[in-house]
Amino acid sequence: MQEPLSRRRFVNLTGGSVLVAAAATVLARPRSSLAAAAKVGEPAPDFTAPATSGTPVSLGSYKGKVVVLEWTNHQCPYVRKHYESGNMQALQREATSQGVVWLTLISSAKGEQGYVTAAQADELTRSRNAAPTVVLLDEPGTVGHMYGATNTPHMYVVDRTGVLVYAGAIDDRPTTRRADVEGANNYVRAALAAVAANQPVKTPITRAYGCTVKYS
Amino acid sequence: MAIRRLAAAPRMTLLAALPLAVAVFIGLLAGPANAAAPRVSVSLISETASIEPGASLWVGLRQRIEPGWHTYWLNPGDSGESPTIDWKLPPGWQAGPIVWPLPERLPVGPVMSYGYTGEVVLLTQLTAPASQPVGAPVTLRGHASWLVCEKTCIPEEADVALTLPAIAAKPADGPGAAAIERARRTVPSPSPWPASFEATPETVTLRVAAPGLRADRIAEVWFLPLRWGLIDHAAPQEATIGERGITVRVARGLLPEAAGAPADGVLVLRERLDQGPVSQAFAIRAIPSGVRVAGPGLSLLAALGLALAGGLILNLMPCVLPVLSVKVLALVGHASDARLVMPRHGLAYTAGVLVSFAVLASALIGLRAGGAQIGWGFQLQSPTVVTLLAYVLFALALSLSGLLVIGAALAGLGHDLASRPGYTGSFFTGALATVAATPCTAPFMGVATGYALTQPPLTGLLVFEAVGLGLALPYLLLSLMPAWRRLLPRPGPWMVRLSQVLAFPLYASVAWLVWVVSRQAGPDGVAFVLAGLLLIAFAAWLHHGARAAAPGRRRLASGVALASVAAAIALGPLVASGPWAAPSRPEPGATGTRSEPWSPRRVAELQAQGKPVFVNFTAAWCITCLVNERVALRSPAVAEAFARKGVVYLKADWTTQSPEIAAALGSFGRSGVPLYVVYPPRGGPAVAVEPRVLPQILSESILIEAVDKS
Repeated sequence: MQEPLSRRRFVNLTGGSVLVAAAATVLARPRSSLAAAAKVGEPAPDFTAPATSGTPVSLGSYKGKVVVLEWTNHQCPYVRKHYESGNMQALQREATSQGVVWLTLISSAKGEQGYVTAAQADELTRSRNAAPTVVLLDEPGTVGHMYGATNTPHMYVVDRTGVLVYAGAIDDRPTTRRADVEGANNYVRAALAAVAANQPVKTPITRAYGCTVKYS
Repeated sequence: MAIRRLAAAPRMTLLAALPLAVAVFIGLLAGPANAAAPRVSVSLISETASIEPGASLWVGLRQRIEPGWHTYWLNPGDSGESPTIDWKLPPGWQAGPIVWPLPERLPVGPVMSYGYTGEVVLLTQLTAPASQPVGAPVTLRGHASWLVCEKTCIPEEADVALTLPAIAAKPADGPGAAAIERARRTVPSPSPWPASFEATPETVTLRVAAPGLRADRIAEVWFLPLRWGLIDHAAPQEATIGERGITVRVARGLLPEAAGAPADGVLVLRERLDQGPVSQAFAIRAIPSGVRVAGPGLSLLAALGLALAGGLILNLMPCVLPVLSVKVLALVGHASDARLVMPRHGLAYTAGVLVSFAVLASALIGLRAGGAQIGWGFQLQSPTVVTLLAYVLFALALSLSGLLVIGAALAGLGHDLASRPGYTGSFFTGALATVAATPCTAPFMGVATGYALTQPPLTGLLVFEAVGLGLALPYLLLSLMPAWRRLLPRPGPWMVRLSQVLAFPLYASVAWLVWVVSRQAGPDGVAFVLAGLLLIAFAAWLHHGARAAAPGRRRLASGVALASVAAAIALGPLVASGPWAAPSRPEPGATGTRSEPWSPRRVAELQAQGKPVFVNFTAAWCITCLVNERVALRSPAVAEAFARKGVVYLKADWTTQSPEIAAALGSFGRSGVPLYVVYPPRGGPAVAVEPRVLPQILSESILIEAVDKS
């Protein structure tokens, strides 16, 4: 898929509302502020973004299912730590096999580190043997800003009722060392287990670690 | 300083490594070489040229960072990672934590990073074992890893090493001394000011009680938290500098529980000086509002108990004892009659104490809520109040001497208690006892009133009322228990003599209050008080003499007496308001240990110099303080102990109002003087040590022991 086409399609597909609302949010706070619309303990804001296939995917369509959001940038050393160790793929398989929807989001702007076309994104999934439900392209950064995603990897868990129950790091070892995967406390796995058991998530918010999301 | 680069960044290709290898080779040929990672070159430098067995030395990991790139601080901000050093030291050696120079704020899109650009030296204190053999060189090794980012990030690592000779002598400065000293100067120093914060779901308001800063000189204020979660790092910070200190308002961070714990961080002040802007960084610990600042946690029940005990002890203080004794004398005289009259007097007296405590405490709590930095005993910071108190005690003393018979309404101390019930008099005696008691902050009371002022107003009031109840209790019990009264000696002429004797502690109190005025308002203030006392004496004589005179002359005498009293009272405000009102000065010619005036800055300076500090928070109107100074602080043995340990003695004089001192007292959970604090010397630039609070009643041995432990 050609890049200009995907952008046009994106704008058409997402429709006015999401874009206008998000743009207003961003414009109202030109100098950042991480306090985004998404808040742990509250309904996760709905969004629509194009999948690598070109089909628009919206969070709202997964109501009744647990959803994981994973912000990624394949060139970021922290992301590489979790993919090259197989940690991220294992977690994806573990989750999706239990009926969890796994959305991988890429918010790198064109020309920035981690930016990929739909075809490149699919190729990355293949070559890394990744197992997300779908990869969403968020080149304008709309969804990223809506969720206050600052890092790659930055992880979110939405429960069956559509409430955001976890936001933050993948685990408690904020390093790039692959060896640190072993024995780390994986917050996402813990959150998914809690949600599956209808328990409150014990650690609902953590400091995400990694590279900054390369927004435009 | 030979450093070999062992590990390359993952991205480095063989091709890229080739020129590097050449560079390292050339470097090796040229002498000491530094590891040359692609974006950051690191080296290990030492402050000293040699190692002394058993001694500590400062080393630094110097990062030279390629332009446009940055490495990270202890709190990297919203992304990134702080560097680590994994020390591989010879046996017996010890390494401290990294001591971090002040970072820069590096906004990247919607996130904030805290880190370093250009060059930074991360400091570490290493300690050699006493058994370190001398003669042979020692190689200190470590493995450093760090993340370096521009827009993209690269993790890098390197082995670093440093070889120094071990010599059994004080080492000379090494080649790294200047760089380490430069870095040390930017390490935040412990803040001399107490700090607190208040969090709403949207904002965090940080308050640093640094009064007296000149707002026009401060160009910038920043708060950098040590941990993620309390504040939105990237949000703008709105700083205001007022009389009471610095307030920084910033958007709330994402972690809800962060608002419930003390927030450690660095406060950066950029000050405009004539020679250009200067940044100063202070390590602060901000306490969530409503939480006790320091000292042992106290339950309400314990606070009430302490307050009651403190109130009881107040009865024995020289300013209260005469008042109480005279009340008891009245009981003696009428031990047998009027079964109902006695309890009523007791209750009236108690009511007087409780009401006046309520009035004082409400005023104190209200003024503090309005922002005034005051504490218990605040009323005596006004020379006017001290003057009026001197008048009242003087009039009382005259009455006890038999030179003045005051109506029941004023004091209720007359000898004709039975003929005139004078409940009003008893009430006012209670009020008088309260007013007279304030300069004597009894032991226990400091902790209890300090607690009271950090609590919600009603709880605070309750604690003050417990103090009042303690003060009223002995008289109340005596008045309620006829059986106990029988234990008192039989009435007789001795009572007149005793009351005359008891006048003298009151005269002494008056003399002391005049001295307090001299400290607060200088010699001219003293002249006004003495003139006022003269007028009171004159009025007393007129009043006394006119009792037997004809009605017409009596009216005239009474009129003149009243005018004299009015004139004396009118002098009260003059004591305070005139241009002669001078701030108190350090006492000249004090014997024993020499003191310097206290300031938060001086404490920080001395701590930075590694000196132990003793701070005496005192006031001329605080009798406990004066007793402590005479008994303990001025003793030669204490002076000797101070000299032996190199303790610097700082005196914070609260005789007149000082928001700075009130804030410092507050940081120890106190609201009044005396307070004695020992700051042990600091271990290193960023190693904060907890100051030790000493008991309110000092003895030589307590002081010497505290100093020896420091």
